Amino acid sequence: MESALNAAILPDASGRLAGRPLEEWNGAYAKVENYFHALRIRNKVLLGDLVLRVLERAQRRAPAEPDRSATQIAAEEMERIVTEWFSEVLQSPPTKADNSLSTRGRLALLLADMPGRWQEQFLRPGPWPEEFTSAMREAFLRAGPDFQISKMAPRPLDLGPITTLTNLGRFPYFRMALIWVLFALMLIVVFILTH
Amino acid sequence: MPEKPPQVQVTSVPRVQRGWRLFVFYSSALLLTGVVSLLFADLLWRTGWSASRTVLLVLFVILFLLAAVGCMHGVYGFFLRTFGDRCRITNLKNYLGQNIDGISTAVVFPIYNEDSVRVYEGLRATYESLVKTGHLDRFDFFILSDSTDPDKWIEEERRWFDLIRELDALGKIYYRRRLDNESRKSGNIRDFLSAWGRRYRYFMVCDADSIMRGETLVSLVKLMEVHPTTGLIQTVPAIVNAESLFGRTQQFANRLYAPVFIAGLNYWALDLGNYWGHNAIIRTEPFMQFCDLPQLPGQKPFGGQILSHDFVEAALMSRENWEVWFAYDLEGSYEETPQAMIENAQRERRWCQGNLQHSLVLFAKGLRGVSRLHLILGIFGYLAGPLWLAFLLTFNFIYAYQKHTGLSDITVQAFTPYLSALSGTAHALLIFLICMVVIMLPKFLALIDLANDWPRRREFGGLARATTSVVAETVFSTLHAPLLMLWHTRFVVTNILGISVGWATQKRSAEGTTWLFALQRHWGHTLIGLVWGALMWQFEPALFWWFTPVLAGMVLSIPLSVLTSRRRLGARARSAGLFLTPEEIKLPDELLSLRSNMKIHELTDDATPSRAHAGLAEVVLDPYVNAIHVSLLREKQLNPVYAEQFTKFGAGSDRVQKLGEKLLAEGPEKLSASERMLVMSDQRVLVWLHQQAWQRPGETLTPWWRAAILEYSRRD
Repeated sequence: MESALNAAILPDASGRLAGRPLEEWNGAYAKVENYFHALRIRNKVLLGDLVLRVLERAQRRAPAEPDRSATQIAAEEMERIVTEWFSEVLQSPPTKADNSLSTRGRLALLLADMPGRWQEQFLRPGPWPEEFTSAMREAFLRAGPDFQISKMAPRPLDLGPITTLTNLGRFPYFRMALIWVLFALMLIVVFILTH
Repeated sequence: MPEKPPQVQVTSVPRVQRGWRLFVFYSSALLLTGVVSLLFADLLWRTGWSASRTVLLVLFVILFLLAAVGCMHGVYGFFLRTFGDRCRITNLKNYLGQNIDGISTAVVFPIYNEDSVRVYEGLRATYESLVKTGHLDRFDFFILSDSTDPDKWIEEERRWFDLIRELDALGKIYYRRRLDNESRKSGNIRDFLSAWGRRYRYFMVCDADSIMRGETLVSLVKLMEVHPTTGLIQTVPAIVNAESLFGRTQQFANRLYAPVFIAGLNYWALDLGNYWGHNAIIRTEPFMQFCDLPQLPGQKPFGGQILSHDFVEAALMSRENWEVWFAYDLEGSYEETPQAMIENAQRERRWCQGNLQHSLVLFAKGLRGVSRLHLILGIFGYLAGPLWLAFLLTFNFIYAYQKHTGLSDITVQAFTPYLSALSGTAHALLIFLICMVVIMLPKFLALIDLANDWPRRREFGGLARATTSVVAETVFSTLHAPLLMLWHTRFVVTNILGISVGWATQKRSAEGTTWLFALQRHWGHTLIGLVWGALMWQFEPALFWWFTPVLAGMVLSIPLSVLTSRRRLGARARSAGLFLTPEEIKLPDELLSLRSNMKIHELTDDATPSRAHAGLAEVVLDPYVNAIHVSLLREKQLNPVYAEQFTKFGAGSDRVQKLGEKLLAEGPEKLSASERMLVMSDQRVLVWLHQQAWQRPGETLTPWWRAAILEYSRRD
């Protein structure tokens, strides 16, 4: 088993690894490393170890999928490993219909403060510390308490005769006519003041 | 032995007392106006009556009445503070020992594209202060976002999460953003009440810049509990945290004059007080039942949605016989003020629009007379500007007309016999002096009030410094008043004509308003001042000198605007002992907490400007921000109202999936703003985008995505 694995991850005589140039695996490495970095895995040893674990799985899969790039395979493997691990830790089977497990898992990592307290547990096979698993499983984000739906209904204001006046505004050119009337009134006032 | 709760003197307010107080208060203002108007009419009579003088007299009567009402607030407030005011809500019943176990109160912060750092730090300060009271379990906090900027939306969510984690407040501080910000702030509150209102007996509305002391929150709940017929209690927020010279003058004026004015206001308003939209506690049930605002008939600017909702909500509450009080002696309620004249004018413009709309609400049947008075005072707060301008122009016209026609300006005998001894000039001077006294008296009384209160005197840096500050503030407000007059005139006219006046966002340097921006905003004021001044000088140099305070404000508007916005000058005035306020002399704990946390942000937050569509990049690429955002969207869909809105908005449709594809393949620039918002509102597509952005080979993504991924992979 050990020797078979080593054979798979060592470059061949032409410098290719699992049927692909080393440069391609370098790109795949960067892709996986970037994502784990985004998950705030800051310990470099741990980060390197996790990336290699993903690449090992990708390299085992690669010979069977010669048309796909190493980056694509590695990214898929990364997603699969992470989702499987979430499924185990959260004791929740993954569903094909949506990716709710992935979201829930990431949220749980944040709420359990994985980046701050539990980096070494990330992607590690169980058993995990009780505190860690309970923090992960109980993680739930609420935007508000339970809804207590009710409906507010505005009560109309009775403005009396003013309502009729406000409706005048609906007539076309009413505003323009009003401005002209005001202007004419102003002229009359000016006339009265000056005579 | 348990500590005995402090006792307060208990007094009841007989209903008849308010009617008497109203009569006395407004009679005083009317009497004063009547006497001085008679003097003015006599002066006009002496110089020869004309139609234009009738116009001048009418304008004078209106303006003087407004000044007299203001003056009476100061006078009555001063006497009440000196001799004691029993009719305060805090004095009517012993509330301090009231048990509030099991009483639930929501503290809500409606926000709209605000600086989330400041909003959340204000909330943190309030929350931490409440923790110290031991009553935290009776309160829940809600950030009610109406933000339309996607970057702000994501930042609000991220910072909310940081806040609840730091305060261990998961399940105590909630965040909710509306999909559709219909009816603005009042709609935001209604949306909150429709979803959760029935869970809370009371809710407390805070503005984005509000800070409340925990003890004050608890006191407000206790007050509501002991006054079961009270629907709303409005605190009088103290202006704090001002740093610029302008901000500090406003802050000083608020802290020194407001207690006297509000005591005067409370004298006649009593249980028919007003609501200013924030820093107030509201009884949920009657508010939900009676205060949902209808659309006004007709078209804008008067018809449609009620913009300044607060006054109307208080009026509706009062209409249904729920009491509305000012708790003006409760400390620990704070807000901030604009730091520059232009920012202040921008705020005035919004308020002007809302207050003018109240002229329609005035006619609503069933409103209490006192509520109508509040509305009228609000409206005239803005109409006073154009009326004053009309008064000055009419006066100038009369003068110019007299000069032009060569009519005699020799005065005749006054019709009031004992005034005939005065020359025309002395008569005019007497009226001018009376006007000045009426305007300045409240300030003087506020100083006397301060002099009578030794501990408070120290809180303003001593009487000498406070007096110097009052003089300096008066000089500044004299120069500022003509600018407000021109601004208000413009706002009123454009609002009535239904013209939307676009205002560019304030261009501020680290120090304040830039010279260029001030020039853009004030060139008209300067020009009016110069032309007006030149014309007056030409007509009559003696008259010109009388008008210098008005003209100086206009001509000097640009330097005045720039210099008063300077923090440096604000700090210098502070070290000179000018405009000191109690919160500057001794910073309360909640403000200290706010200030130190803001300083930490200033020192630690990344100051580099974020890339375009940073919020979109963050919500797609950051695994945690994506998870928070998607979880909030999922939870929101549990509410059938929101679920319906999501469907109406188009979230969950195939179109959004296609937009998601386009976003990845072509970048965010190729999507319209509404399309980007739609993508960000679809939880299914966002999860897919997160997966795809990290899985797809770089060469299949646009340079924008590649750069964003690179940025995330280098982020510490």
